[in-house]
Amino acid sequence: MKVSTKGLFRVYATGEHREGICRKCDKLLIKEFYMDGERKRVRMVCPKCGGMGRLIAKTFSVQPPSPPQCLSVRCLYKFFLDTLFCALLSTYHSRRVAYAEMNRHKQILERYRTGQPSPETIWQAIHANIKLTCPVCRKYNIDPLLGG
Amino acid sequence: MAQTQTVTDTGIAELILLWREELATGMESIVALEMATPCTAAVASTFLDPADTAIHHTDSGLLLAAIDTVAGDTVNTAGDTITFDHVFTATASKNVAGIHVCNNDDDVTFIECCFNAVLAMENTDTLTIDGQSTIEQA
Repeated sequence: MKVSTKGLFRVYATGEHREGICRKCDKLLIKEFYMDGERKRVRMVCPKCGGMGRLIAKTFSVQPPSPPQCLSVRCLYKFFLDTLFCALLSTYHSRRVAYAEMNRHKQILERYRTGQPSPETIWQAIHANIKLTCPVCRKYNIDPLLGG
Repeated sequence: MAQTQTVTDTGIAELILLWREELATGMESIVALEMATPCTAAVASTFLDPADTAIHHTDSGLLLAAIDTVAGDTVNTAGDTITFDHVFTATASKNVAGIHVCNNDDDVTFIECCFNAVLAMENTDTLTIDGQSTIEQA
């Protein structure tokens, strides 16, 4: 039996924290409006080279899992797995952004600044969380569970 | 702490005012939230009382300002989404824990977002906000 769940407002929001001075040209970035398909958007660019300033950290909008659509064990188990993945992903991105912010002047893996690639499975999320807490693994880009 | 974002109760009340053909206001302003630790977005948050102990920034380029772009979009059904973009440019070292998206009278918060972690802005740093809200059917 399918269960109808209530509709909802879904909100996505990301914040992209960048340096405001172009390192290459030593110029202050300026605001530029541009078209992304039919959507008018805004960004900061270097007036000389068009660069966007060095990325410090980009936040990630983790969405809660959809409620179960039926009462079978399979549906409930899927909801449990989705919830677990959501929790692991949230933890990863929170730690990642905090780490990137703390190391804004240091050389770190770009994935910790951009959030991409983001874990897509529970297993990947577990790996990513462990790797992020291990200084040696972060520095040499080693997966602590696989050793390479 | 996970990044949390929500449409507030006051934001929904404003939408219902529009449906009732009463005086309603639109999405027009945005302000950065100041807090030393990550906040948690709550539906009960209001313009005057943001999440946890967060407060609105009132200076340094992070204060209440008109949103750079606001537009309609389609995700599931025609026109079910509103999108917005904004760039803050800090003029001093400040912490940003999240944002409030507000109305044109600057007295109602429609959307509250608390970031994954506190962003430590320094002078001239920029913060580009990319947001959207979709009303989804059951």
